[in-house]
Amino acid sequence: MRIGTARSSYRHDESLFDSRTQHAWLAVLAVALLGFPFFADEYWLYLACLVAINIASTTGLNILTGYTGLVSLGQAAFMGIGAYTVAALEQKLGTPVLLNLLAGGFVAMLGGLVVGLPSLRVKGLYLAIATIAASVVLHFVFANWHSVTGGHAGITVAPAEILGVSFDTSFRLYWLFVPITALMVLGAANLFRTRIGRAFIAIRDRDISAEVLGIPLLRYKLLSFGLSSFYAGVAGGMWAYFFRVVTPESFPLIMSIFFLAAVIVGGMGTILGAILGAVFMTMVPEALKLIVGWLPLSADATLILSPVRTIVFGALIVGFLVFEPLGLQEIWRRIRRFFHLWPFRA
Amino acid sequence: MRRTVLKSLLATAVLAATAGLPAAQAADKEIVIGGSIPMSGVFAFAGIGIHAGIQDYVKMTNDAGGIEGHMLRYVPEDSAYKVDQSVAAFKKITSQNKVNFYYGDSTAFSKTINPELDRAGSMIMSGASFATELNDPQKFPYQFIAGPDYTQQFGILLRYIAQQKPGAKVAFVYSDTEFGRDPIESSRGVAKELGLNVAIEIMTPPGAVDVSTEMAKLRRARADYTIFHGYILGPIPEFISQSRQLGLQTQFMGTFWTMDNSTVMQMGEAAEGFMGVMPYNYYYDDSASAPMLEKIRSMRTEYQNVPYIQGFLSAMLYAESARRTLAAGQEMSAANLKAALNSIENFDTGGLIGVPISIRGNTIPVGRIYRADVQAKRMVPASDWIVLE
Repeated sequence: MRIGTARSSYRHDESLFDSRTQHAWLAVLAVALLGFPFFADEYWLYLACLVAINIASTTGLNILTGYTGLVSLGQAAFMGIGAYTVAALEQKLGTPVLLNLLAGGFVAMLGGLVVGLPSLRVKGLYLAIATIAASVVLHFVFANWHSVTGGHAGITVAPAEILGVSFDTSFRLYWLFVPITALMVLGAANLFRTRIGRAFIAIRDRDISAEVLGIPLLRYKLLSFGLSSFYAGVAGGMWAYFFRVVTPESFPLIMSIFFLAAVIVGGMGTILGAILGAVFMTMVPEALKLIVGWLPLSADATLILSPVRTIVFGALIVGFLVFEPLGLQEIWRRIRRFFHLWPFRA
Repeated sequence: MRRTVLKSLLATAVLAATAGLPAAQAADKEIVIGGSIPMSGVFAFAGIGIHAGIQDYVKMTNDAGGIEGHMLRYVPEDSAYKVDQSVAAFKKITSQNKVNFYYGDSTAFSKTINPELDRAGSMIMSGASFATELNDPQKFPYQFIAGPDYTQQFGILLRYIAQQKPGAKVAFVYSDTEFGRDPIESSRGVAKELGLNVAIEIMTPPGAVDVSTEMAKLRRARADYTIFHGYILGPIPEFISQSRQLGLQTQFMGTFWTMDNSTVMQMGEAAEGFMGVMPYNYYYDDSASAPMLEKIRSMRTEYQNVPYIQGFLSAMLYAESARRTLAAGQEMSAANLKAALNSIENFDTGGLIGVPISIRGNTIPVGRIYRADVQAKRMVPASDWIVLE
C-alpha cells in the first residue's frame, strides 16, 4: 500500500484503485489510449488491436492457470470456438456484432465446461495433456463439420458493422476492441474481490483445504474453466472480426503455448501480469524487427538476422524465467515501489 | 542484473516507441515491392529462396536502368510464416511506403489480406501460395499466382498420365490440411474427363510417420500412378520404400513443393524415377533457350531452389505489368496493374519457363513433368511443356 493512503471508510477500503496517484495515472492511461489512434499509423494500430485481443485471451487463461492453478493448453482451441461461432453467426444470420461476440463467449464457455470436467480428477501436467486432447478434438470438428465451419477452407467473415459503421480498418476496430478488452480486464480484476475469485485462489493454493473450507471443487473448477473459455471465446470473436478469415489452422497448439508463456512471463495470478505478458509476447518480436531494421546493414542482413531474432526472443523469455520468476509484473511493482518513496530515498 | 534487465527493457521500449516516426517517403519515380517473406520458421527454406530471387531480379533491373526511368525498391519483412506477423509486416510496409506490388507468404495470408487489397486499390499481390481458391479473379481481383494452381498442377500430371497410359488407374495421396485437400475434389472430374480411373484417395493425418495402413490400401488399389500432394517431403520416402519392399508397380509423382531438386534428392535411393510437375526450369538448365538462368548462374554460382525461381519470376511479372502500365501512360493503380498483367500474351521469361506464357485469370497454367536422376543428382525433363487451355 502506498504511504499516506489512509482508508477511512469501508467503501474506500473496498475500492479497486485506492490512491489519488493511481487515479491520476489511470487518467493518463485513458487519455493515452484515447489519443493513440490519432497519432499512430496503420501498423501501430494493427499491433494495438492484436495486443488487445491477446490481453483478453491471456487474462482469461490467467483466471484459470494463474488464479485457479489449473494448467490449460486449450486456450487457442477455445478461441477457435468463439471465432467460428462469430463467423457462422455473421455469415448465416447476420446478427449484431456485440451479440455475436457474447455468443462466441458463451459457446466457448460451454466447451470449456465440458473440457473442464476431467479437472476434478487430474491436475498439473495431466490436465495440460487432457486440454491438448480437447484441442485436437476441436481441431477435427473445425476441419470436418463442413456445414457450419466450411471445412478446411474455413469461413470468410464480413467486417463488423454497428449502426451502419463498418469496422474494416484497424483504426475503427481499435474503438471496438480496446473498450471490450478494458471491460474484460476490469471484470477479472473485480472477480478476485468476490467470493468466487477468492475460492479460485483457495483452490490454487490447496484444493483439499479449499474443500474443507466448504468450497465445492467441481463447481468452482468448472466455473473457472467456463470463465476462462468465455474470455477466450470473446477474444476469438474479436480475432475473427480482425483477420476476417477463420480456418482450422488459425488456432494451432503453438498459440495456446503462446498464451501460457504470456501468463508465466507476465506473472501468474496477477491482472497486470497478464497484460504485461500479452504485450511482451506480442510486441517483443516486432520490437526486435525494428531494432534489426535500424542497424545499418544490407538487405541480406535481414535474412541472416531473422533466425537470430527468434533466438534472442527465446533467450529473453528464458532470461525472465531465471532472473525474474515472478514475471514482468514484479519488475513493474519494483519500479513502482522505488517511486513510492522517491525522491526521499534513492 | 535486475537493473541491466530494466535498462535493456527501457531501451527496447524507447526504440519501439520512436519507431512510429514516419519513414522516408518513397520517391515519386520508384516502384516498391513489399513482401511478407518467411525468412524464419517452418517455411524458411522457401522464404530464403524467394527473398534472394526477388532481390536479384530487382538488382538486375535497376542495374539496367530501371523501368521507364523508375527504379525498383524491394522492402521485405520476415513473417516467420505466421499470419499475424505477415499482416503486421504488410501494415508496416504499406504504411511507410507507397507499395505497388506485394509478395505474400501463405494461403491464409492471401485470404486474410484480400479485403485490404481491394480497399487499398493501389497494389497487386502474388505469393508462395498456389491455392486453387485464389484462382478466382472475381473474389481475388488483385492477386495472381506465378504458376499453375494446385488443381492445374494435378491437371498437368493427369494429362501426362492420360498420354502415357490411357485409362490408367490413379491414386491420390494427400495430407489432411487445407494445402493437401486443395486439388482433390476438383481433380476427380478432370481425371474422369481424361478417361482415367481414380482408384483410391488416401488422406493421411498431418505429420504422419507410420503409413503402413495407408500402404495396405494403396497396395489393394493397384494404381498405375500415385500422386502425392500436401507434403514437402515426409511421408513420401516412407511410402516409396515400403512399396518397393512390397514390389508394388506404381509410378510415384509429386507437386511443386516436393519437386525442388534438393527435396527430391533428400529421399536418397527412393528418389530414383520419382516424377512430378514443375512450372519452371531448374537452376541448372543450360539450354540455349534459357538465357535468364545463365544470368542467374553468373550471379549465384551455387544451386538456387525452385522458390528462388518463383520469387524471381514474380518480380519479373511485377516489373512487366509496371512497364506496360507506365508505357500506356496510366496511373499505377491495382486495376491498371492487374489489367496490364492480364494483357501479357506469349511473354518470354528468358527461359524461367520453357514456353512463352500468357496470364489468363489469376494463374499461368503451364508445367512440365520431370523425373529424378539420382546418379546425376538432377531432375530431368520427362515431357514437353504442357499448357492447359
